[in-house]
Amino acid sequence: MQALVDLLAGLPLAEWMRVSRWGYAGVNTLHVIGLALLFGAIVPLDLRLLGLWRGRVPLAALARALVPVAAGGLALALVSGALLFLSAPADYAGAPLFLAKIGLVLLGAGSALVTHRAAAKGAAEGDMADRLALLPPARLRLAGALSLVVWTAALVCGRMLAFTD
Amino acid sequence: MTLTRTTRRNLTAALCLGVAATLAVPALAHHGWRWTSGKNIELTGVIREARLGNPHGVLTVDAEGESWQVEVGQPWRNARAGLKDGDLAPGVEATFIGEPSANIEDRLMKAERIVISGRTYDLYPGRD
Repeated sequence: MQALVDLLAGLPLAEWMRVSRWGYAGVNTLHVIGLALLFGAIVPLDLRLLGLWRGRVPLAALARALVPVAAGGLALALVSGALLFLSAPADYAGAPLFLAKIGLVLLGAGSALVTHRAAAKGAAEGDMADRLALLPPARLRLAGALSLVVWTAALVCGRMLAFTD
Repeated sequence: MTLTRTTRRNLTAALCLGVAATLAVPALAHHGWRWTSGKNIELTGVIREARLGNPHGVLTVDAEGESWQVEVGQPWRNARAGLKDGDLAPGVEATFIGEPSANIEDRLMKAERIVISGRTYDLYPGRD
């Protein structure tokens, strides 16, 4: 573990993240944009999964628009996050809040993948969004509730990293 | 099926709780000056450890047997003040002028100016 941390800290990319002024600031900004896209897309989707706007906003149409945006936001956050991690691997790897955040991100992404899988297996027709909408309501509510709690907690853990030792 | 009233109430409560928990976390920020005392102190000691880099550097300073954490600038701020590689390195004696944490027991301060061998390096020109 220590060897891996040292190896990462010694990379030229890590050095660049440590010393560059606008590189660091730019990557930081990309991370915020990634989070904004992910969270901004996933919250309305989760609320719809929980039953909000039922009968007025079709789930399949909403999922068709918001799932790719959330996934794109997550991808951007993961890449920029990996670079931010490189700026101080030992600090982050040793911070319980950071480890909790990574656990929550894995849980959130894993839960979405499991729901995705279930939707793919469930129905024979339609695209992924159509199939998602055909899952049992209780199943969808569970996915929405879990996602809402997990992503909110991940966001709080990540932000609080800057405010604790 | 729409949400039952209880479910909706529980959801609202959970959301409020989350927001409250976020706001209640004490602001221990390194960023900005809200966590500091508002008054400058002067700390003279020998640098024992230096971790420099974004988003800001942190020095461990031995001041007459007391170990302090001194926050310095990020690389561009230190460079702008005239500091070079090796100026903030273990073994260097320096005087740090800046604001300590409002809780003095933390032994944590944020440097505004650093004096090394009689030369002053101003990290925050314009601050007292």
